[in-house]
Amino acid sequence: MFTTPRLIAIALCAALNFAVGAVVYLVKLPIYMESIGTILCAMLIFPDRWAAFVCALIAGLASVAVIGLLVNPFLPWFSLTVLAIALISAFVTATGDGVYRARPPQLLAFVVRVVLFGVLTGVVAAIVSAPVVAYLFGGVTGSGSAFLVAFFLKTGETLMRSVLWSGLTADPIDKVLQVLIAALLFRATPAEFIAMVRGVPAKA
Amino acid sequence: MAQRNVLAGANFSGRSAALRALLQSDALVGKAFLIGPYAEAALSGLTNTVRDEVALYGMQTPNGGNCFAAENFAEMQLRDPQSLSGGEQVMLALHCFSQSAYRTIAVDTAFEQLDPTNRAAALDHLRTCDADIFLIDNRAAPEGFTATPAQPQAREFSIDWAALAALSAPQKAAGISITNLNFNYPGTARIFVNAGIDLEPRHAYRVSGANGAGKTTLFKILVGALAPDTAEMTLGGQTYRPWRDGNRALALATQNPDQQWCGATLREDMTRRRRIATRHGNAERISDERLQSYTRALGNVSLDAHLYELPLAARKRLSWSWPFAGVHPWILLDEPTVGQDRATRESLARHLTLMCEQGYGVLFVTHDDEFAASLPHRVLLVANRAITLR
Amino acid sequence: MTPNGAVLFVVILIVAAMLADLPGLVVICAVAAAFAVLETRENAWSALRRAALLVLPLAAFMLAIWVGLIGKSPLEIESGLPGSRTSALLYVATVSLRLFLIVFVLQAVLLCFADESPFSVIRSLRAPLGVKRLLVLTLSLIETLRHAVGRSHMALVASGVITRRLSLRNLGHGWILIQSVWLTAITTVLGRLRDKWPAENTLALLEPALAQQERPMCARDRVWHLVALAAALFVFGRLILGTA
Repeated sequence: MFTTPRLIAIALCAALNFAVGAVVYLVKLPIYMESIGTILCAMLIFPDRWAAFVCALIAGLASVAVIGLLVNPFLPWFSLTVLAIALISAFVTATGDGVYRARPPQLLAFVVRVVLFGVLTGVVAAIVSAPVVAYLFGGVTGSGSAFLVAFFLKTGETLMRSVLWSGLTADPIDKVLQVLIAALLFRATPAEFIAMVRGVPAKA
Repeated sequence: MAQRNVLAGANFSGRSAALRALLQSDALVGKAFLIGPYAEAALSGLTNTVRDEVALYGMQTPNGGNCFAAENFAEMQLRDPQSLSGGEQVMLALHCFSQSAYRTIAVDTAFEQLDPTNRAAALDHLRTCDADIFLIDNRAAPEGFTATPAQPQAREFSIDWAALAALSAPQKAAGISITNLNFNYPGTARIFVNAGIDLEPRHAYRVSGANGAGKTTLFKILVGALAPDTAEMTLGGQTYRPWRDGNRALALATQNPDQQWCGATLREDMTRRRRIATRHGNAERISDERLQSYTRALGNVSLDAHLYELPLAARKRLSWSWPFAGVHPWILLDEPTVGQDRATRESLARHLTLMCEQGYGVLFVTHDDEFAASLPHRVLLVANRAITLR
Repeated sequence: MTPNGAVLFVVILIVAAMLADLPGLVVICAVAAAFAVLETRENAWSALRRAALLVLPLAAFMLAIWVGLIGKSPLEIESGLPGSRTSALLYVATVSLRLFLIVFVLQAVLLCFADESPFSVIRSLRAPLGVKRLLVLTLSLIETLRHAVGRSHMALVASGVITRRLSLRNLGHGWILIQSVWLTAITTVLGRLRDKWPAENTLALLEPALAQQERPMCARDRVWHLVALAAALFVFGRLILGTA
């Protein structure tokens, strides 16, 4: 399962998570963008779904550890969310790899898959994260979504509902963006590298 | 008796593939030191300092051969190998080989990045070391090496120079003047101190100097990718500060072609450049049809081809499409002939001469004296933190 | 201090910081400050500055949300109490100080080895060879990405797709930079994986390079470990007493 190309892919995808996620966290946007690498890792390894899941999970957890130590101390507590994203990416999102890499591009099929898979990932991530945000951090984790939680709290919602509504508002949008960027990066990746990571002969 | 082999032939004759097959054979796999065309195949990629890079290879029992080192090697010890210039990386790689236990070395066009002095020293070292050598080099065949016959040249990726000449449209480049240029990379010595140049259109300038002198740095300043500490620059008498206001006059083809793309495909790359160029006028020079004609002439490559899946020599040629498209009046070519066979180099020189006659200005960096000799030019020497017109 | 000693010191302090309340964090702060001053000397200011740069904006943000907008602490929200801005302020202070400490300790420890290369530090670690190889690979990829960012930035600035300075164009074309960095990094990695590393069996060179250079802990390390353990005991003591 852990060939050298896959280890390299895991490390690169973890670094991608770190780079984009850290910048977004620091500028306090109400999105996260910390799982692009996780989703991309699953796409790169895809036909072997379990390997795709494990490698995506490691990439996600590695970046969560680094971001947690250096930028966002709350992130390590969302490891379950990382697991959920890796699972969906490996078993659902990555199934669109033929469409993502189609030349010429199949625009409608591409957009439908990105939106569908992004929304699904976002909804699941919001539900899995909500208890952690609500009970461990009281709704505020230092990311821009705190504004949304504060807004819902002010409207009289309970803490759990505020966190859930905040997540269901921001997460689908965030995850659609992340699936889109991951799919575009996957599309741009040279076939030779994908073949190395998948352990198959190269084809265009 | 150690082998001294040159894999001869034109571009796309299968030399690199043959070399790769040789290195993957049972006899050699894992046992040969490779210096490939660019950094990713010259350095190990595992270390952060020159000292550690040498230590990595030197941990083996040395092969007892003589040590090879550049003159300024001692000063480079704490530098990041990936931040060295192309020629410095090749010199470092050769030094690592001389410290290692490898008995075979393969060099794929890497020596073409060396200035004449370093190239001669590198070849001399190889001649005297007790190792099997496999060399791919597009310059004059070195003495003492046996040429392995080439495959018949494949027709794909050939350049249609006649079509390129027909496409090339006249231009009215304005003169460029720089004075009071001061620059250094953070934490390093000054590259330029009160340097200055005057560049006239309709001329080609060879920017020459030792490896690491600052030639590529000068190019980066001219296109605005680096901001000098101080500089007064004019274009046609008007103040021109590309590092502040953006580049609108110079088209750059980098030494490593993969360091200049703006997209994954040619279409993405050209579309993005064109969108920017449209703001500065020149819309008629950058129509889809015209750009497609250029890429066809430079290798018959579809605009939708994935750039990074093409052979390196083909990517190098395609990296000339934007400069040749004539959108910008000044053309900067950094080591354009690395990895290109003799026929291509000669034709490139002729085409650049034509572009100068049509009103463009050309700056080029090359260690290829043969190529430079076939292109009428003036010499800009970058040395001792200054730029001198010879 | 040796790298192995530093790793243990950091682990003890960070674990303690994660469990500490405000008084416990103050004690850990004192230990961290003493370490930074004695071990890194003038670099202590650098560690302090970097930690502050990272944490102060976050603290300001949390202050705005917790104290300004919400007006009570998570515990009070959870238990349905009316709450107060003072308790919210205490909560923010605790979280911010905790984060500050973690970053500060990490920075100070890294600065202890500022004169050494990452490769030589990893060589000195007492860790399984596989772990050391992974660390070297990871660090090398970080360097590769760093250079990929520089090269991509150069390419896109030269072509005018992005500008050197802050601009709306950069916001719109940020995706192109991400794509360019990814492709540059992949191409570099591909060249190594396909050509350089198989030809030389380069990764096997790491074994002798990494295997023989471990640096055992020294007396100075032990002293700092004792100090860190004392702080940790103070934290655990307060935890136990608080639970009791």
